[in-house]
Amino acid sequence: MEIGFFKTAAALYTVSMVLSFGYLLSKKERLSFWLWKILSVGLFCHVVSFILRTRTFWQIPENRYFLPINTFFGALSYLALAVALVFWVVEGRHRLNILGAFVLPWACLASGAAVVFADPAISGLVPALQSYWINIHPMVLMTAYAAFANAFGVGLALLIQEHQVKSRKPSLLCYRLPAIEDLDQLNYRIIAVFFPVLTIGIIMGGVWAYNAWGRFWGWDAKETWALITWFVYVIYLHMRFFGGVRGRKTVYVSMLGFASVIFTFVGVNYLSELHGYLSSKG
Amino acid sequence: MNIVLAGLSHKSASVALREALAAVGVPTVLERLAAEGWEEMVVLSTCNRFELYTSTLALPSGEDPAGTRNSVQGAATYNDVETMRQLLEFMENLCGQSLGQVVYQKSGQEAIHHLFSVSAGLDSLVVGEAEILGQVKQAYEISRQMGRTGKSLNTLFQRALYVGKLVRSHTGISTGQTSVASVAVQLAQKIFGSLSESQVLILGAGKMAELSAKHLLSGNVKRLLVSNRTREKGVALAQKFDAEAVRWEAFPQLLEQVDIVIASTGSARPILTSQLLGPVLSSRRGRSLFLIDIAMPRDVEESVCRLEHVYLYTLEDLKEIVEENVSKRREEFAGARVLVEEELLKFCERDKTRVSYVEKTQAGDARI
Repeated sequence: MEIGFFKTAAALYTVSMVLSFGYLLSKKERLSFWLWKILSVGLFCHVVSFILRTRTFWQIPENRYFLPINTFFGALSYLALAVALVFWVVEGRHRLNILGAFVLPWACLASGAAVVFADPAISGLVPALQSYWINIHPMVLMTAYAAFANAFGVGLALLIQEHQVKSRKPSLLCYRLPAIEDLDQLNYRIIAVFFPVLTIGIIMGGVWAYNAWGRFWGWDAKETWALITWFVYVIYLHMRFFGGVRGRKTVYVSMLGFASVIFTFVGVNYLSELHGYLSSKG
Repeated sequence: MNIVLAGLSHKSASVALREALAAVGVPTVLERLAAEGWEEMVVLSTCNRFELYTSTLALPSGEDPAGTRNSVQGAATYNDVETMRQLLEFMENLCGQSLGQVVYQKSGQEAIHHLFSVSAGLDSLVVGEAEILGQVKQAYEISRQMGRTGKSLNTLFQRALYVGKLVRSHTGISTGQTSVASVAVQLAQKIFGSLSESQVLILGAGKMAELSAKHLLSGNVKRLLVSNRTREKGVALAQKFDAEAVRWEAFPQLLEQVDIVIASTGSARPILTSQLLGPVLSSRRGRSLFLIDIAMPRDVEESVCRLEHVYLYTLEDLKEIVEENVSKRREEFAGARVLVEEELLKFCERDKTRVSYVEKTQAGDARI
């Protein structure tokens, strides 16, 4: 049943994404209203599916009280949930439904990939993962990743808006999108708030690695790429804080950071021995 | 019910005449109408139009209102003609001149159609402008508060306000700004968001500078600065808008702080050059700078627009946007008119049902 709820959530995310495109390109406020309602229902279905999945997961004794994110399906599902939830909270609070067209595709992509490519079967946790850290370390990191997906969407909107105003021949899109400075601020705020979350997540990984494997850092591919991601965002914050750089250039860096996030999340699974659990390699 | 209207607008009357009538003030007009025995009246008085609306059920006392109800669909009845004549006479008395050529008089469906079109902005100087809807609402509210509206005018005006909103939300008739200054303000808002923290520097003290200052103040900017080569003129303009006057020599330093610069000097050579702005930008730490060049010949060097975080718009750019918006509105005009006509039919149908119901009840009452 939890798969049914999950598929419904994925479908609703897709519908609200389509509506958000419609809202971006037309002037119909009604679309924004429905986009929000449908996204909310999608989020609700997703949470229900997550709870049901956790309950089934706990029926295997060794899985008891750990969250079901040990598979690619579980991880993608949580990521989609986090992306949609961060959007719901951050953009919703700023009344920026219009940015749905830039952010919701990521929620659709993650949930869609889970439906199409990932095996939703539930299995017992391998002993190495039977630690309370599994409830914290991946969740914290994926929440940061979801926030960076939002920052990416905001950055993309900024690039488009900057181009629109700079062109001296703004199209309808210009009047639909938020102001350049507002987008710049939002992009910065999301990264500034979630960068510490990323940092804490990585440190937690280190602590867990110390407990499990007896070393804090081992240059495993996942660890290396997480560090690269971290450095890219350090460069971003450094540029903003000390370099007095804003706008387009910083957005490029934040986009590079997000590319690195995607690689760390997906690509590295095929390289890493220790973090290969998602590709069932580890 | 039957609606009768007499009025004049920017299409028929001169500015002087419109101004003279607008100056009278709605409450005064309403009181004078009441003194002459008009019971139900709404006075729509703006700088572009002066219109009197009444229902012929509410003729000046002493008149016979019989037979007025049957003309919703049909031609003007004797009563309507009489009402229109009296309204014209009233307006002539009000401004003290003959108005036979400039006043239009409508009754029945035609009058309702006119009010719907007015409130939808189809009869405005700038098609689809939003202000008129508020003015119709205000005209109605004043009459209502003074107890000058009865059931028919209440129904009519509430419907007209609804139609005005409907047309604006269902067609593109009111999208896009249609004046250079409002386009500039809108663009500024697309760069900075709220303008409440923005500082504006005006270079020059001519008429255009004054006009833009006026519009930007409606956007409630944080600080307005004026710099002019002839200091006295700059000071005079600054005083007019409660702005700060700055010495001409000092303005380059100000470029580090301000967000919007409006250039409208009479200088023969560009004042804001890449050479001047380049060093300034590095100390602005990436904040956007919006340059509006409304001078002829130009005050801002063209190459400036290639600098990062600098957004340059010239008078031609702004005019082009205005023209585009106006033509977009024109495209929407036909659709808007169809919508108004549909609403008119709906309204008249409903009115007919209401009237026949009233007639039936009255017939029933008569039998009893």
